[in-house]
Amino acid sequence: METLRQLLVGREISELSRVTQLLDVPEQHAAAVGDVLPRAVTHAPQAQLSEAFSPVVERSVQRSIQKDPATLTDILYPLFLPAIRKSIGEKIDQTFQSLNESLRYIFTWRGLKWRLEAWRTGTSFAEVVLKHSLIYRVEHVFLIHRNSGLLIAHATAENATSEDPQLISSMLSAIQDFAKDSFNEKEQGALDTIRFGELRLWSEVGPFATLVAVIRGNPPEELHEIVRDALLRIHSESSGALEKFDGDSTQLAGVRATLETCVELKQEDSTQAFPWLAVAAVTLVLIAAGSWLFLSWQSGQRWQDYVSRLEAQPGIIVAQQSARGGHFYISGLRDPLAADPATLLSGTEVDPARVHSQWQFYQSLDPKFVLKRLTASLAPPKSVRLSIVEDRIVAEGEAPDTWIDRARAAARQLPAGGPVFDISRVRDVSPEARAAENWQTYVSRLEAQPGIIVAQQTARGGHFYISGLRDPLAADPQALLSGTGVDPVRVHAQWQPYQSLDPTFVLKRLTASLTPPKTVRLSIVGDRIVAEGEAPDTWIDRARAAARELSAGGPAFDISKVRDVSPEARAAEHWQTYVSRLEAQPGIIVAQQTAKGGHFYISGLRDPQAADPQALLSGTGVDPARVHAQWQFYQSLDPKFVLKRLTASLTPPKTARLLIAKDRIVVVGEAPAAWINRARIASQQLAADGLTLEISDLRELTPKELVHLREGIQAVDILFDSGEAVPGPEQLPVLDRLANQLKELATDARKAGVTARFMLTGHSDTTGRETTNLSISVARAETVRALLKKRGVDPELLLVRGAGTFEPAETEKAQTGSSVNRRVSVSVNFD
Amino acid sequence: MLQKKICMLGGFAVGKTSLVRRFVQSIFSETYLTTVGVKIDKKSVVLSDKTVDLILWDLAGEDDIGSFRLSYVRGATGLVLVADGTRAATLTVALTLRERTEAEFGAMPFVLLLNKSDLADQWTISDDAINEMRQSGYQIYLTSALSGESVDDAFIQLASLVSK
Repeated sequence: METLRQLLVGREISELSRVTQLLDVPEQHAAAVGDVLPRAVTHAPQAQLSEAFSPVVERSVQRSIQKDPATLTDILYPLFLPAIRKSIGEKIDQTFQSLNESLRYIFTWRGLKWRLEAWRTGTSFAEVVLKHSLIYRVEHVFLIHRNSGLLIAHATAENATSEDPQLISSMLSAIQDFAKDSFNEKEQGALDTIRFGELRLWSEVGPFATLVAVIRGNPPEELHEIVRDALLRIHSESSGALEKFDGDSTQLAGVRATLETCVELKQEDSTQAFPWLAVAAVTLVLIAAGSWLFLSWQSGQRWQDYVSRLEAQPGIIVAQQSARGGHFYISGLRDPLAADPATLLSGTEVDPARVHSQWQFYQSLDPKFVLKRLTASLAPPKSVRLSIVEDRIVAEGEAPDTWIDRARAAARQLPAGGPVFDISRVRDVSPEARAAENWQTYVSRLEAQPGIIVAQQTARGGHFYISGLRDPLAADPQALLSGTGVDPVRVHAQWQPYQSLDPTFVLKRLTASLTPPKTVRLSIVGDRIVAEGEAPDTWIDRARAAARELSAGGPAFDISKVRDVSPEARAAEHWQTYVSRLEAQPGIIVAQQTAKGGHFYISGLRDPQAADPQALLSGTGVDPARVHAQWQFYQSLDPKFVLKRLTASLTPPKTARLLIAKDRIVVVGEAPAAWINRARIASQQLAADGLTLEISDLRELTPKELVHLREGIQAVDILFDSGEAVPGPEQLPVLDRLANQLKELATDARKAGVTARFMLTGHSDTTGRETTNLSISVARAETVRALLKKRGVDPELLLVRGAGTFEPAETEKAQTGSSVNRRVSVSVNFD
Repeated sequence: MLQKKICMLGGFAVGKTSLVRRFVQSIFSETYLTTVGVKIDKKSVVLSDKTVDLILWDLAGEDDIGSFRLSYVRGATGLVLVADGTRAATLTVALTLRERTEAEFGAMPFVLLLNKSDLADQWTISDDAINEMRQSGYQIYLTSALSGESVDDAFIQLASLVSK
């Protein structure tokens, strides 16, 4: 059994006993665990292991320090030293800065004020000084990846500019490397301050990133702490992302906010209240005092200017001058001809009221003044000029001997010591000499005249003789005399006429003899006379003849440039004659007319009653085939045409005549009533056109038998009984007779060319009511009309009206009424 | 905003600076190269899906490789190696510089520009050598500062390599 056991599990048993022994013997067990411990630690979960280890480690460190601090200090020394060194360095910097500032402000007014503020607020003086004196602004903050120098984030203050921040950050880290390499600096520190004028670059180096602040101005040392805090915050917030940064900054967008807080840091200069009022007051006082000083200096200066100006004046001698209490006193001598000192004052800005001057007159012997005096006393003629030559006064020019004598006397009277008056250069111009001169002027004027040739001229005994040739067209030598001062009475001239061949004269002669039309222009071209333009053949013939007759040696007359316009001109003339003939015609109005290419065009208005324009052509010489006329008919209001039209339309009877009296048309004579009526209608129509047709002088023409018949008819009355509208039987014969009369008259009238119309008027007596009377009167007239119609009278000719009691045949007296008034009367009208 | 730090490396007078002058935004003068030893330019490359700002660190070219400021390469994600095609030695310098940066900062994408392609008659690098390098995966561009040939293509290529 034991053997079987040995055979089956013998190896396991010996192995088990070895392990048991290993576990039992602590030395062996520790050695075994020690073998696997480093591997076990490596494989254990990190968190749990740290959890398990940290109390042990903490306690061991604690124990180690209790036992011997030196060991750990030695270990940590390389780590602490740079940090401590840096911290102390900054503290010292801070202290120095505050001490500096304190010393700078300790004795100033500002310093006292800040001391008061420190005492009031309970803060240190240095702090107050720093608060007020440090003026800075963080303009940029760069967060730079430490390993690659790539820019992680960047923040900029308002208005601050810089070049590409990516390039700057790389360059900054390059410079860091450069500094470190160049000076063999092995420690972990970094270039922490770069200063360039107003700008400072402060770097704070973290494990993964460097923060660089660009500061303008004078930042306090505390700013280091702020920047450092920002860097710490960034590291603690995004250490993972910073560690893994590979150039992609999107993961680190959040850090920008932190950078922005740094950029906002700044300390602006506090504005001080400036004592404006005091400064203004002092300035005002200074200005006032300054102006007063300046003005008084200026006025003195101006006075001196004035005095020196006076002294420079010829004829003025300043004897004394002084200025006292703002007033100026001056005295001296003055030539009456010298400039007026008062006038000189104007323009100097010296107040004339403050100037008190005393001038004594004297005669200056200065040549200028002598000259002035001589000029005033001698009044030299215009031909004499007085001037100063060296210190003599010289008269030059021409003068009559009288003036020369006066000048000589004046020269003798000049005082000794003064300038000499020299009149030797004045030429004596006696009247004779003048006359001779004038004559010469006249002769040369004549010689200059074209068309005048002076052959001989002499002056003898005050008389002048001249002879020569003269073209009749040349200027009149006599007329040329005027204005020369030569006495015409003393001139004896003999002029032979001749024809000058001067082109000007030839031109004049040709113009006078040929009288060229306006269309021709004569001019001188070179030495030829050229005619240009248009003229009829008759004129050209005459001109040609004149050209041939010109004398040889004179200018030629060229008429080749004149165009012969006779046929056209004649046709145009004829046309104009015709047009004016048309225009003179009543009832024809020419609106437009032109001649174009040998054809004539005319248009206008024409009364049908006016003369025929075509007929008027005959005898004018205008070719009718070349005339193109367009006439619009119109009714002329010319009384003559109105008369013609009226005559045509009214066809007045032979007994009537239409006349024109002034602007009116008058009908005189006799005419039947019907025609008079038509004339009246025509008169009314004409009135609308502003014309008058007078028919009041026209007498009505009625044949005698008609008048007789009418009188017979108008004597008849049909009588009625009271209240009756129908006549009694005794009236029937009257009615029969009346009917016959009416018929006869109507027939006769028609024959005479008029229409007779009969007005039947009913009447009543005055008994009864008026309305009844009126209606009964109408009824009576109607009844009579019906009865007459029955008897064959044309009812068209019968008119009816009721007159009531208004047209009684006799005045009624009886109450019974008048039988005569109860009637129907008849009146006859012709039309 | 996606940015990448790119270092331009090359021997003395290979024409790095003049090669990119026309293609980049720059605010710093070329005196930085001789004073600080680096000049920084920016080239924005628009790719199909994004825009990459290449921050180009143009390192002063020196044939003495020992004096090369390696620290400037820290944090770079790509390299532009420039050699002068008319001086074969500059290709060796460029490749050595790359090896040094790789040793210090690990491998990173790069493009190799063989410059002065306009001077064909003075060319000293054989086509075989170029083909060989291309076969081993090098991105090679024959460029000319005069014509600007291929420079933009090289930047686009590098931008897409570093922004993968």
